[in-house]
Amino acid sequence: MPAETQRTLVLTVPDWSATAAAETHGWAAHEPVAVLRGGRIVSCNAAARAAGITTGINKRAAQLRCPQVRITGWDEDLDQRIFATGLDVLETSLARFTMLAPGEVSIPLTALARTYPSEDAAVEELLTTVTDATGWEFFAGIADSVFAAMLAARTATRVLPGQTPDFLAAQPTAALAYADAHTYGELVTVFERLGLDTLGALAQLSEGQMRTRFGTLGVQAHRLARGLPVHQPVDHVRQREHLIEVPISPPSTRGDELSFHARTAAAELFAGIRAAGFVCPSLTIELVAAGGQRSQRTWRLELMDENLVADRVRWQSEGWLAGQSAVAAEPVDEGLAEADGVCALTLAAAELLAPLEAHTSLFAQRSGYVTHTLERLQGLYGPEAVRVPQLQGGREPAETNLWTPWQQQPRPERSAAAPWPGRLPAPHPMIVDRAPVELLDRQGMSVIARPSGLDSTPVLLRLESGAQFGIVDHSSAWPVEADWWDPARAQYRVRLQVLTACGQAFLLCKEHGRWHITGRYA
Amino acid sequence: MGMSVHHAVAADPQTLREQLSRLPGVTTARELFTGPEPLPVDGMLAPVFARGGLPRGEILSVTGTLALSFACAAAAKSTREQHWCAAVDTPELAVAGLADLGIDLEHFVHVRTPPADWQRVVSILLETFDLLIIAPPAAPSPQERQRLTAKVRERRASLIALGPMPGSSESCEVSVAGWDGLHAGSGRLRACTVRVRHPRTGEHLLTWPLTPGAASVQQLPTASGAEAATCRPAHPQVQVIDGAG
Repeated sequence: MPAETQRTLVLTVPDWSATAAAETHGWAAHEPVAVLRGGRIVSCNAAARAAGITTGINKRAAQLRCPQVRITGWDEDLDQRIFATGLDVLETSLARFTMLAPGEVSIPLTALARTYPSEDAAVEELLTTVTDATGWEFFAGIADSVFAAMLAARTATRVLPGQTPDFLAAQPTAALAYADAHTYGELVTVFERLGLDTLGALAQLSEGQMRTRFGTLGVQAHRLARGLPVHQPVDHVRQREHLIEVPISPPSTRGDELSFHARTAAAELFAGIRAAGFVCPSLTIELVAAGGQRSQRTWRLELMDENLVADRVRWQSEGWLAGQSAVAAEPVDEGLAEADGVCALTLAAAELLAPLEAHTSLFAQRSGYVTHTLERLQGLYGPEAVRVPQLQGGREPAETNLWTPWQQQPRPERSAAAPWPGRLPAPHPMIVDRAPVELLDRQGMSVIARPSGLDSTPVLLRLESGAQFGIVDHSSAWPVEADWWDPARAQYRVRLQVLTACGQAFLLCKEHGRWHITGRYA
Repeated sequence: MGMSVHHAVAADPQTLREQLSRLPGVTTARELFTGPEPLPVDGMLAPVFARGGLPRGEILSVTGTLALSFACAAAAKSTREQHWCAAVDTPELAVAGLADLGIDLEHFVHVRTPPADWQRVVSILLETFDLLIIAPPAAPSPQERQRLTAKVRERRASLIALGPMPGSSESCEVSVAGWDGLHAGSGRLRACTVRVRHPRTGEHLLTWPLTPGAASVQQLPTASGAEAATCRPAHPQVQVIDGAG
C-alpha cells in the first residue's frame, strides 16, 4: 500500500472559469460573474454566489436572482491559456508539477521535501509565490493521493499522512465527479441508487466484486475511493512463461496414450495459469517425434478444460500420423514415419488474458458444439480446411472474397467501406474462377475488346479443359480502369458477361490481351 | 426410405403402429404424419417444397444449371435464424453472391476435404450442423448411402446434394428460363427467371431479383400464377405452370 500512495499537494483556484472570464474581460473582482455552458451555469464567482447564483441553474434564473450579473460563454481555450500563463511562475520554483485541469495543479510533495523543511513551510512559500505573481486566490490541499488532495483542496485541508482513507470515507460518492465528471457521472448515480452514499461504503467492497459488476471503470472508481492512484499497475502478462514439457517413453504413436499424457499435463498447466489469475484462450501444442520431427499447432480453447486439450492432442497426432500434414499451412510440420513415435509433448500457453477480457457473450452465436466439430476437422485436415466467409473491398468477385480459416482473425486487405468505383454490380456470380479461356467470333478469331466496345460478336467460349459453349447473347463490354496513378497497381481490364446456349452465364474479363473467366453464375 | 413415413398415413393402424416402433428419431405422433418441422425457407421459395420448407432428416437433391444458387437461397433463411450451414467441397464461392441471396455469413462455413474422405467429413459435420450443402465428388456405394441416410435422419439435418443423389426424398431441377438485361451486346445481366421442376409440387417460375437489398427469391408475376394463387391460397402447389408456358 505505501508504495502505491504518493503524497500530493494540489493547488486550485475556486471557480476558475469565472476568474478567467473576469480577467479576460477586465471585470473587477467584486462584480458577479457567471459562466454559461450548454445553457447551464457551470462556474460563478463569490460575488455571484452571494447574490444567490449556483451552478446548474439556467441563464434566466441567474439573471432573475442577480440582474447585474455578467454572464459569458464557456471557452476552454481561454481557461487553459490564462492558467498556463499564470503557471509560468511555478516553472521557476518547482521541478515537477502536473496541470490536472485549468485552475488546478498537482505537485508531488517528494519534489519539495529537499527544498523545504516541512509541508507547512512548503505550502506557505508556494502559495505566497503564486498569489503574488498572479493575483488569484489559491486553495491548497494535501493528501496521499491526487484525487484525495483535489477533494482536500476544495476545503483547504491538510490530510495527515496515512489518514487519507478515513478522509475519503467521509466524502459523498458524488465526489467522484470531481475526478472526471464525464467518466464517472453515470456510475455515481448507479452507486447512489445502490445505497453506496459515501466513498467509504464503496471502498469496503472487494475489488473482485467491483470488477465483475462494473468492469474497468468500476475498479478505477474503487481505487480512487481507497486513495490509490487510478492507474493500475501494468498487466504483467507472461511475466513467467507457462509451459509444460512431458517426455513420453517409450515413444508412442497411439492417440489415446498421448491424450492421456496431455490430460495430466494440461491439468498441471491450467492450475499454474489459474493461480496466476489468468485464463488461456489459446494453447500451442508441440509434438516431437523420436526422429526429431516436430508438429506444432496453436489451438483456441473455449474453456480451460484438460479434456479439450487431450482431444486436440489426439487430433493433431492423428492428423500428423495420417500424413495429412501436407495440407497444413504450418511450415514446421514434417512427415512422420510410422516407426517413430512421439517422444515428447509440449504444451505452452500461447495467449494469456485477464478473465473478463476472455469472457465471451452469453449470446455468442458460435456455440461450443459447432466449434468442437470444426476444430476436429481442422485437426484432421489442417486449419485451411474450414473457412468462414467475409466481404472486403474490391472490384472483382475474387477481390471481394475474404475466406479466413476458422478461429483465426480475418485480415482484410481492402476496406469494404470504401466506395470502389467500377466494382461489379449485382447480380454477383456465385462461383469465383480464374481460368484463362478463349472467346471466339464467327471467323474463329479471338474477340478484340476496345474501350469503344467489342470488334466482333462472340459466338464461342472455349475453356481450358476443352469444353465449348455456344454463346447466344452477351452484355456490353465495359472497361474498368483502376489505380492508374500508380504504375505498380494499375489495372486495366474489360468486363463482359456472356450467356451460353444451355443457360449458363459467365463473367469474363480481358486483361493483358487475354480473356479469363472471373465468375460463374451457377 | 424417407418417404415411407408419408405414405404410411393411408395404411391401417396396425401397420402404422409397427412402422412407428421401427422408425428411429420419431418422437411425437404428429411427426409420424408430417415428419419433423421443415427448416424455414424464404417465403417465395416455400411453394417449391412439398412441406413448405427444407425437409429435415432427409436428403434433397438439386440438379441443373443454377443448382448452387438455389441451394444457397434455400439455406438463407435458416442461417438468418441461427442455424449453421456448411458447404462441403463446392467450388470457391463468391461471398458477394452468398450475401446477395441473403445468407448470414456469420453462420456459414466452407469445408474442403480430400475427395476420398467426404463421407467422413459429412458425418462429422452432421453431429452439429443443421444444414449441409454438399457436392459429392463421387457417388456413394449403396451401403455408404444407407449409412448417410440413417445419419441424416437421426440428426434431423437437411442435406442438400448438388447433383443427383440416390436415396434423396425430394429432388429439384433448377434451370434458367431466361436472363434479362443483356440486349444483344448493349446491356448487362440484371435478373434471371429460374424454372424449378419438382416431381411433387410441379413447375415453378421464380425471378432472382438480384438487386442489392432485395436478397430473396420472388415468384414471377405471371398472370396465370397470380390468379391461381389468389383463387386457392390453401394449396401452395397451385403455382403449377404448364410445361408449355
